Amino acid sequence: MVGFHASAKKQILPPLPQSMEGTVNDPAPIPETHPSEGSYHWTFERLVALGLVPLCVAPFAAGSLNPVMDAVLCSGLILHSHIGFQASIIDYFPTRRVPKTHTTCNWLLRAFTLGTAVGLYEFETNDVGLTEAIRRVWTA
Amino acid sequence: MAALRSSSRLFASARPLFRPAAFARSYATVESSAQDPNPSDQPRVKKFQVYRWNPDQPAEKPQMQTYSLDLNKTGPMMLDALIRIKNEMDPTLTFRRSCREGICGSCAMNIDGTNTLACLCRIPTDTTKESRIYPLPHMYVVKDLVPDLTQFYKQYKSIKPYLQRDTPTEDGLEYRQSPEERKKLDGLYECILCACCSTSCPSYWWNSEEYLGPAILLQSYRWLADSRDERTAERKAALDNSMSVYRCHTILNCTRTCPKGLNPALAIAEIKKMMAAH
Repeated sequence: MVGFHASAKKQILPPLPQSMEGTVNDPAPIPETHPSEGSYHWTFERLVALGLVPLCVAPFAAGSLNPVMDAVLCSGLILHSHIGFQASIIDYFPTRRVPKTHTTCNWLLRAFTLGTAVGLYEFETNDVGLTEAIRRVWTA
Repeated sequence: MAALRSSSRLFASARPLFRPAAFARSYATVESSAQDPNPSDQPRVKKFQVYRWNPDQPAEKPQMQTYSLDLNKTGPMMLDALIRIKNEMDPTLTFRRSCREGICGSCAMNIDGTNTLACLCRIPTDTTKESRIYPLPHMYVVKDLVPDLTQFYKQYKSIKPYLQRDTPTEDGLEYRQSPEERKKLDGLYECILCACCSTSCPSYWWNSEEYLGPAILLQSYRWLADSRDERTAERKAALDNSMSVYRCHTILNCTRTCPKGLNPALAIAEIKKMMAAH
């Protein structure tokens, strides 16, 4: 069998031998459909990304320290990065190829997101808060 | 456009009537016009490196084989060079070709790093640089420059690429469209399914088992945008999952590589807009 492997051995997720579901004349199977993973997910993701643009500028432009604004900005950032990393996991650790790694990565991501959320909450309630911290560090 | 087309057709059919018989024979001979530009020049020898892999020797690694051709004796396009190599130098070289004018999509391959149709790709006249010809990237290779497009066609079948309609027309004759509705299909119906765009898409490289890829999504939008089709809701529902459409991250390799000058990325964006608005 080794003789049949013509490509390099050290590859990340090398393509598997060709396989086919059904005959050549059957249509490719449609993945399980659900709007919460499809159109709703995409719309939500775009709305969060769009909303973050004014949210990043507003606190500094307004010049006022508002805990509600801070909370909205923080939750927006967490959601945005969670969705972004989730997309990378779906892309690079596909379920059909590495189901266990896929699940592990997803739970790791959830743990990190939760950790970030708790950390930011602590920072907001017991310290100066995100906006004020950026303002102090930002010297330009 | 319709008027232009019909008039040119008229013109073409009228021409033999009015053309003197002496000119009729020399009309449209490719060889004479192809060799005229450089009649007595030095031979312009260009090297072509072509990907070779033979399924009859599966243990042998794929390799690049170099062929040298005199460009003065070769037609202007890459396909001319490949056909000349096959006819005169190496009959074992395998590639797909049919129409040699960019309408069948058979000769899609990766030439000098870009997916394109060999018949629409001019041979770069710089003879100091060699041209490298590979099969379409990230596909299972059948032999040499022939990729296996089974999955591509299976995916095309899965989007039901035909008119689905229950209600008959009032006069029982044709399904009519207004010129505006017809205009929505421009830039979509021209796609020849050569798979250049899909195989240039990194997302399709990673997830071609489930992600449909730009070519199939463009076709999908062609039927979503068709005013005569009555299964728009079902078509949209079938795409409503994380894999079919939403693995598109607007990388735009598809639009950049399309040898027909179409814009699959725009069609995917339109699908996303349609899906978001429902």
